[in-house]
Amino acid sequence: MDCQTAQTNLSAYLRGDLPPEQRSALAAHLRGCRACLASLAALDPLASVLVQSETPPVPPGFEARVLAAARGRRSPVLPVDWSPLRWWRLASGPMHAAAAAMLAVGLGVGLAIGWGARPAAPQVSTSSAAAGGDPLAAYKLDYLSDAPDGSLAGTYLALLTSPNGEGQ
Amino acid sequence: MQTPSDEDLMLRVCDGDLNAFGQLVLRHQSEAWRVAYRFTGDATEAEDLAQQAFLRVLDAAPRYSPTAAFRTYLYQVVTRLCLDYHRKKRPVLTEALPECVADTPTPGEEADARERDQFIQNALAALPADYRVAVVLRYFEGLSAAEMAVAMGRSVKAVERLLSRAREALAPSLELFRGKMR
Repeated sequence: MDCQTAQTNLSAYLRGDLPPEQRSALAAHLRGCRACLASLAALDPLASVLVQSETPPVPPGFEARVLAAARGRRSPVLPVDWSPLRWWRLASGPMHAAAAAMLAVGLGVGLAIGWGARPAAPQVSTSSAAAGGDPLAAYKLDYLSDAPDGSLAGTYLALLTSPNGEGQ
Repeated sequence: MQTPSDEDLMLRVCDGDLNAFGQLVLRHQSEAWRVAYRFTGDATEAEDLAQQAFLRVLDAAPRYSPTAAFRTYLYQVVTRLCLDYHRKKRPVLTEALPECVADTPTPGEEADARERDQFIQNALAALPADYRVAVVLRYFEGLSAAEMAVAMGRSVKAVERLLSRAREALAPSLELFRGKMR
């Protein structure tokens, strides 16, 4: 990097607005150029001191040690084919609205089915109904009223409509 | 073939791809190491913190969302680890610093460089932890105020106040240093 470029970028350097590569190049230039270093000191004395100190390099083998530690962990990251939470984070607004609507409809349908399936009214005792009135109506068997004698349905009806109402 | 972005690599890490994780470590190990080293002043502690930072990134991969650049996210993780380290254990200054690579320095220049580096590290170590982190992120890592705000979990104004106070706190050391170097 030449001095003109360095001087142009000093303010951006101090604000932290330079990309990492450009920043490194400028710092290297400042360490070797007294004039540009003096310009930096005029803007920020602290920066002109700190830039002269180079951090030691990453210890050799660091990446390998990190990977070894990652592999040795008891609960490694497992492949996930599909994660509902990840889907929710990545999905768009309309998708969120559609999912919420489907959930509401599903809940509504489930509630409606459950409501419709509940017992309508307490059942009247068949014995008392049969004893006190039309057994066919009591047992809701009027559709068998036309069953011929001797047929299975007719026999069943006969049993039901016998005096004790319990086929005895 | 296009080089995968950091965010692409992280999505692969989410799926259990350790090779992608290794690529991220290679790309950003310098950043993690530098912050940890400047904060602790100790190479062994620094490597431990930097390694922990990457392992935390790995553990958090399923929850990762690319709302900020990966580099900024990594700085956030390292910063938190450094501050936790400070809360649990007061850093110990080391007299011996790792060798700095220089371009054929003279013995005099080498001695001056080591003295300067030690002086700077001592001055940093004397700062409160949050001032020290602010100085490291701005002056050694070149983060902007907005990036520092994300990394430190503070507002931009709070970060700028921290930097201002850190400069004031370092001013006496700075004068001493400049007097010695004349």
